[in-house]
Amino acid sequence: MRGILVLFILLSANTLISKDYYVYVAAESDDMVSLLKFDGKDLIEVERFEVGVMPTEIEGPHGITVDPNGKYWYLSLAHGSPYGTLTKYSTETNKPISSTKLGLFPASMQISEATGLLYCVNFNLHGDMVPSTVSVVDPEIMVEIKQIETGAMPHGSRISPDGLFQYSVAMMSGELFEVDAISLKVNRKLSLEKEMSHSHHHMHHDNDMKMVHSKVKPTWVIPHPSKKSVFVAGNGSDEIIEVDLDNWEVINRINVGKGPYNIEISPDGKYLVSTLKGEGSTGVWSLEDISVNRIIKNTTMVSHGIAISPDSKYAFVSVEGIGGEPGKVDVINLENMSLLSSVNVGKQAGGIAFWKISD
Amino acid sequence: MRNHLLLIIFLMISVSGLAQIKTIESDLLDLKLNVGDTFTPNSYVMTLDGETSQCDNMIYYNKKGVFSTAQSIKVDNETGKIEANQPGLHEVVAVCITEGGKRLSRTFVVDVKFPAVKEIRISLDSDNIYEGTYVPISYEVIDEMGFIRENVNFSIKSSNQNLEIDDVNNIKAVKPGSVTLNASYEGISGSLNLNVLKNPVDNIELSSSVDQARTGDVIQLKAIAYNKKGQKLDNIPFEYSFKGKSFDKSNSASGLVINDGRFVADVSGNYLVTASIGNVSVSKAINIYERNVKRDVVKVGTGLVNDKHTSDFWVFEGVDGRDYAVTGTWGADGTSYFWDVTDPANILKIDSVQVDARTVNDVKVSEDGRIAIISREGASNRKNGIIIIDVTNPRDVKIISEYTKNLTGGVHNLFIYENHVYALSAGQKYYILNIEDPVNPVEVGMFELGKEGQAIHDVWIEDGIAYSSNWRDGVYMVDVGNGIAGGSPSNPVAFGNYNYASGAHHATYPFKSKSTGKFYTVLGDEIFPNGIDVNSPNETAGFLHFVDFTDVDNPVEIARYELPGHGSHNYWIEDDILYVAMYSGGVRVIDISGDLMGDLYKQGREIGYILPGNKDGYIPFATMAWGAQLYKGHVFYSDWNSGIGAAKVMPIKPDNSKVNQYLN
Repeated sequence: MRGILVLFILLSANTLISKDYYVYVAAESDDMVSLLKFDGKDLIEVERFEVGVMPTEIEGPHGITVDPNGKYWYLSLAHGSPYGTLTKYSTETNKPISSTKLGLFPASMQISEATGLLYCVNFNLHGDMVPSTVSVVDPEIMVEIKQIETGAMPHGSRISPDGLFQYSVAMMSGELFEVDAISLKVNRKLSLEKEMSHSHHHMHHDNDMKMVHSKVKPTWVIPHPSKKSVFVAGNGSDEIIEVDLDNWEVINRINVGKGPYNIEISPDGKYLVSTLKGEGSTGVWSLEDISVNRIIKNTTMVSHGIAISPDSKYAFVSVEGIGGEPGKVDVINLENMSLLSSVNVGKQAGGIAFWKISD
Repeated sequence: MRNHLLLIIFLMISVSGLAQIKTIESDLLDLKLNVGDTFTPNSYVMTLDGETSQCDNMIYYNKKGVFSTAQSIKVDNETGKIEANQPGLHEVVAVCITEGGKRLSRTFVVDVKFPAVKEIRISLDSDNIYEGTYVPISYEVIDEMGFIRENVNFSIKSSNQNLEIDDVNNIKAVKPGSVTLNASYEGISGSLNLNVLKNPVDNIELSSSVDQARTGDVIQLKAIAYNKKGQKLDNIPFEYSFKGKSFDKSNSASGLVINDGRFVADVSGNYLVTASIGNVSVSKAINIYERNVKRDVVKVGTGLVNDKHTSDFWVFEGVDGRDYAVTGTWGADGTSYFWDVTDPANILKIDSVQVDARTVNDVKVSEDGRIAIISREGASNRKNGIIIIDVTNPRDVKIISEYTKNLTGGVHNLFIYENHVYALSAGQKYYILNIEDPVNPVEVGMFELGKEGQAIHDVWIEDGIAYSSNWRDGVYMVDVGNGIAGGSPSNPVAFGNYNYASGAHHATYPFKSKSTGKFYTVLGDEIFPNGIDVNSPNETAGFLHFVDFTDVDNPVEIARYELPGHGSHNYWIEDDILYVAMYSGGVRVIDISGDLMGDLYKQGREIGYILPGNKDGYIPFATMAWGAQLYKGHVFYSDWNSGIGAAKVMPIKPDNSKVNQYLN
C-alpha cells in the first residue's frame, strides 16, 4: 500500500513538472507548415497545414514568427506574382486571418515588443544584385507601412532586446544594417569584410558605395540578450562575427564549421547555437567560454533555422533535406549539447519559430 | 455600510482605470484638403479625463500600404506630413508607441476634395438617331485638375418632348425633330444637340447565309432597309434580337446575336431572329439542328507514375525515328521520366534523371529531338534555373549543363525554339538563352512588361512570335524573330496585347482557323477556388477565352469554352480541333471549326472526352488532367495523379449500348 502511494506521488509529481514545448516550422518546397510538440523526450508533429495562394506553384513559405503574446503567427511566402506575401494566422485555429503583399522574396522577420511592428527582410535573390529592402508591417491591421532600402539580399531580421532597433545583414554586399525601429530609417551600417572592415556611424543609406560581392556572405544576425553586441553568421567565410554595438566595430571572428547559416543565442545568454548548413550540423558554443562547444550532426543535410525555448533548455533546429527527402526538425539539449529527438516535416524545412511552453 | 464602501472602492478603481484609457487626438480629424495641398499634423495623447501629453514616438502611415495605389496620398512616417495627390477619402493611421511596447493607434479619414467640375462632355455613339430607338450616349465629367470623375449620378433633361428619359437615364427618341440633351452635375452642364429623324424605314428585308444550321454554326444575317418609295437606305443602326423554342421540351432555346448580324444557337430548335429599327421590324426563321460531332474517345495506353505527382510533358520524334516523351514531376524529388511511346498502347518508361529540385514543372524538347530542357523549382541551394539534357539516346539521357543566372527565383515554365530557350524567371519576366552550344548557354535577351507588379506564368513560341501569359495583364505578343515588329531573340519587341477582367490568364495557344483563316489567341484561365489538396481530389474553375486577333490592333474576345464544374489548364490545337486538359474534367476534344462565337460548350461542339483517373493513381480514381498534345494521330496527355497516357478519337459515334435500357 505504501509502495502504491509512493508511486502515485511520483507519477503525480511527474505530471506536474512535465512541460510541452510547441514550435512552428515552415516547409519551403511543400508549401506546408507543421506544428510540433516536444514533451522533453519526444518531438512529434501535431498538425500539418497547407499554406499559400497559388496552388500549382511552390510559393516558398520561408520566414515564420510568433508574436510576443502568442496569439498569432506570421508566415512570409517568398514567391508571388511576383511579390511575396505575409500572412497572419491564429495560433488557436491555425487558420489565416489576413495578408499583405511585401517585396521580392520576403524572408526572415520578427516583431518588436517595443513598437508592435513587424520587420521582414525582402531577400530578393532574383537577377542582378541590387539593394533590397526591409518591409515594416503593422501586424494589427496587416498593412505594409514602409520599405526601407538596405543592402543586396538582406537576411536575418532580428530585433534588439529593447525592441528599438532591427538588425539584418546583406548577404551579397556583406553589410550589417541597424534600423531605427521607430523612425524607420537606417541608423548605421557596417561592412563585415575582412579587408575593408570600417564603420559608417549614423549613416543614412546611400548608394554611392560600389556594389561588391561579399566574401563573408553574412546570412544572419542575432543581438545578445543582455550585452551590447550582435553576432553575425559569415556563411561564406565560415566564421561567426561579433560586433560591438557601442563602437560599431567587429571585435571578434570565430572560426566555425562550414557555412554557418542561422544563429541564435539562448535567452539566458549562455549558449550560442549556429546551423552549419554546408556540413549538415549544428554547433553549440558556450558564450562564457567559447572553447566549450560541440558540433552535432543533424539527422539530414542542409541545416537551416533555430528556435530556442524561452527557458534556454532546448534548441529546435530545422534541416532542409535534399530533393524529395522530407525536412526534419531536431531537438538539441543545450545543457549537455546532445541530440534528443527528431521528426519528419515537409520538404525543405526552413523557417522555425517557438510558440509556447505549456504545462 | 459595508456594501456602500465596496461600491465606493469599485467606483474609484473604475474612474481611475477610465482615466488611464488614452486616445490619440489629432488635427487629422475631419481633415479636408485640396489636391496638391500638404499638411503636417499635430497629434497628442489624451486620457478620458482630458489630460493631454505628447507622444514621443509617433508613426504615421497610409492605410493602403506602400504600393502605387497608396501614392494617391503620401504620408511621411515620422512627421505625418501628407501630400494630397488625388481626390477621394483616404485613411491615415497614427500609431503612438509608449513605454513598454504599449501602443495606441487611430485611423483618421482625410478627405481630399474633388476639384470642381469643369466640364461635362456628352457624345453620341451613332451617326443618326431615329424615332422609336434608344439613344446611345457617352459621358465624361472632367474637373478643373483634369481628373475624370467616375460613377457620377447625373441629372439629365430633355429640352422638349422628343426624348423620353427614364429613372435610370435610358433615353428614348419618341418624336422627330431637334432637341437638346442637358446633363448637369454640381452646377455645371453639358449639352448635346440632337436631331431625331423620322424613321425613314418602311420595310426591312432580312436574309441569312443559311435557313438551317447546326448548333454552334455562326450565321450571318443581313438586313436591308427600304423607304416607302422602295429605295434602299444605308447606315441604318439595326437592333438584332432573337427568340426560339427548343426541340427538347425540357430545354430552353438559347444563343447569341450581336449587332453586326451574327447569330449562333446553343441548342437545337426553331429560332426567329429579328432586325428592327424603331417600330419597324422583320424576323427570319432559322431551324437549328444538333451539331452531331460526338465520337468515341478511347484510352489506348498509360505510363503510370503513382509515387509522385506528374506535371507537364512533351512527345517528340527521336533521332532514331521512334517516338518518345518526357514528363516532369511536381512537389516531389526533381525527377523527370523518359518514355518510349512508339506504341501508344504500350508506353514504356526507359530512363529518368533526377536533379536538385522539388518540382520540374515544365519540360520541352528541341525540334530536332536532340535537346530536352527542364525547369527547376525548390532547389536545395535556391538557385533553381534550368537543366539542359542530351536526349539523342532517350534510353540513356545525359545532363549537359545547368543554367541558373537570373533564374534563381524558380523557373515555372519554359520553351525551346530554334536553338533558344525562353525561361521564366521568378514569375516576373522571361530570359532568352542561346543554346547553340548547350554546354555554355548564353543569355541574349529578356522580356518584361516593365511595370510594378509585373507577373508571368507561361511563354509559348510559334512562327517567331512569343506569346506570354501575364495573369492580369493578359497575353503579350512579342516578335522574337518573326519580323512583324523587327524583333529578334536579342531584341524582343512587343506588338500585341489583350487582357480580361478575371486576371487569371495562365496559358496561351495561337490558333489560325483552317476553315475561316481567322487568327485567334486562345487564352486559358487557371483557378483553384478552394486551393489545392495534394492528397485529395480538387475543385477547379476558369475557362478558355477565344480572342479574334485577326486585326492585331483591335483584338475582340468572341467565344469561350467553359466546362461547368471544371477549370482549364494546358491545351493543344490542330486541324481546327482543340485538345484541352480540364483538370478534374479530364481531356476534352472540341470541334472549333468554322466561325466562333458564344459559348462553345453549350453549342454541343464537344467531340468527346476521357477521364484519366486511375485506380492505381497517386490519388486513386482522381482525374487531374494537366496537358494534352496531339501527336501522330493520338491524343497524349499527362495527369497529375497517374502519369502519361494516350487516347484515340475514333471515327465512330459513342457506344450507347450500355445506357439505361429504357431510353429510346
